[in-house]
Amino acid sequence: MGLLRFVSVRLLRGLLTLWFAVTVTFFLVRLLPGDPALAVASPTMTADQRAQMLSDFGLDEPLLVQYATYLGQLAQGNLGISFRQNAPVLDILLERLPWTLLLTGSSLVVTLIVGVPLAVAAARRQGSALDRAVQVGGVVGQALFVPTVGIFLLYVFGVWLGWLPIGGAMASDVYGVAAYGSILAHLVLPGLSLVLLQLGPYVLFLRTSLIEALSEDYTNVARSKGVSETKVVWVHALRNALLPTVTLVGLQLGFLVGGSVLTETIFAYPGIGRAIYESVGQLDFPVMQGAFVLLAATVVVANLLTDLMYGLLDPRVRQT
Amino acid sequence: MSIIPPSGTAEDAREGMRTEAVSPRSRTWRAFVRNPFGLVSLAVLFLIVAVALAAPLIAGEPGGYSADVLAPPSAEHWLGTDNIGRDVYNQIVWGARTSLAVGLGASALAIVLGAAVGIGAAYFRRLDTPLGMLIDVMLSLPILPLMILVAALAGPSISTLVVVIAVFSWPEVARVVRSQALPVVDLTYVNAAHVIGAPNRWVLLRHVLPAVTPVIVVSVVLTASRAVLSEAGLSFLGLGDPSSWSWGTILYNAQRSGVLASAWWTALFPSLAILLLVVAATLTSLAYNDARNPRTRGDSAR
Repeated sequence: MGLLRFVSVRLLRGLLTLWFAVTVTFFLVRLLPGDPALAVASPTMTADQRAQMLSDFGLDEPLLVQYATYLGQLAQGNLGISFRQNAPVLDILLERLPWTLLLTGSSLVVTLIVGVPLAVAAARRQGSALDRAVQVGGVVGQALFVPTVGIFLLYVFGVWLGWLPIGGAMASDVYGVAAYGSILAHLVLPGLSLVLLQLGPYVLFLRTSLIEALSEDYTNVARSKGVSETKVVWVHALRNALLPTVTLVGLQLGFLVGGSVLTETIFAYPGIGRAIYESVGQLDFPVMQGAFVLLAATVVVANLLTDLMYGLLDPRVRQT
Repeated sequence: MSIIPPSGTAEDAREGMRTEAVSPRSRTWRAFVRNPFGLVSLAVLFLIVAVALAAPLIAGEPGGYSADVLAPPSAEHWLGTDNIGRDVYNQIVWGARTSLAVGLGASALAIVLGAAVGIGAAYFRRLDTPLGMLIDVMLSLPILPLMILVAALAGPSISTLVVVIAVFSWPEVARVVRSQALPVVDLTYVNAAHVIGAPNRWVLLRHVLPAVTPVIVVSVVLTASRAVLSEAGLSFLGLGDPSSWSWGTILYNAQRSGVLASAWWTALFPSLAILLLVVAATLTSLAYNDARNPRTRGDSAR
């Protein structure tokens, strides 16, 4: 019962977030000086052609009518038509979405797989050389510029050592198992860039919560009962320290998605981020708008999943 | 920055600590100078500011095309040239101006907005739920794609960048300020002020604002360094101000002309400039935080 209420409150908040994102973008696009009509119209058009095209795209209606139409269309999964490619924005983006999900999802998983043991090791030997290195690395990591990391990895492992491909998502002439291998090889560098960028905040945050948990009464009780230190850290303290870290995932998701836009641009990775980069060059506003809405929706869904996980990890949520 | 330089020598300082009460501000400054990280970072920040201010004196106008296309670093072109023969050193020196201008401008605007919303949410109970929700929603959205959309619509210019970055950076400030202000608005002296009939404006300015000022000081530096990153990111995607120089734009040109992998100097040096500025800003604010906190300062017993 408690969990159900918790989830429905979170679901409502997710919907509110989505509505906010949709509404803000709609009005920004219509009210800002960059006239979408100018972007589609070419100077050689006659006035009639121009008016015809505006009504084709529905740009001659009153603002609120356009807004209502937009919401209605959106509810049916219609994100509009690309100015440049003459194809539905949703189709263009759905083709790209799996790559972005693969890139961001795998980098998040790897970040946690690497980050949790690192934070545990640092918290267990507070003040040790490793702990210092983790702290300095964490701070510097937060200050990194996304393209810098990508370019560095691309240069060292792609160009200089030649170990890994420097762009794209897979080679075009491979099939079967080799295709999976190719996808993986193309994923390593962009994925690693995102891991390096996210690792700092997670490790620093988890380290602090672990140090706190390790000085709590319940860990001392566990120790005095004779539970081994390894078990105290990994079972008793870690489970509690992970709770605030799960919340951090929610806060970091937006940053991760932003990082993927820049990373995909560098590695010519065919995800949503690369689509955004291409549409900036072509002033294709429907694609930019749709990409943001779709990414926001992805973040909302991912946030719901982390909330659900939080509910499962923390029994208090289920009871109240 | 509210840091006041120390008056007198270290000897005086020790004397002062023993005999009479030292103002919290000078105690913070003394702890700050003891931390080599903080001092070096602050020096680096000043150096970057100096370079930006002195740009016309120490570097030529980077506009000129030349025949030296993609020249590696040499005595003539210290940091090499880019794909159309512009000197990378000159671009970086002039780019420091853009980075600092956008960083400081966006940070100032975001701080004002964020502090107002954060204090407002903490002080006026009825506003707390809607404002808190707005902060949460804004923080969970992927901001970079939204910034890209707005910057592309509004047309690239320095003022667009400042406004766009500020409009989407204030929630972080508001969150921190709100959590700092929440316990303060319930303190006895704030209630006492209400009891004697002080108007809200007076209570806010005299009691609440001073209590959150230290967080705001730290936020200025952190928000500015994030704004520098955002500016570089937007410029890297081709949304930089076309009439000025920017570190992100150097990378954008290298990326677009496909020389990123071959001409390493076009990528390395602007990247290093960004890294240096942001790391120095981050370490400075951390050192200030540590110096202000009696627990990490190390003189709490005295």
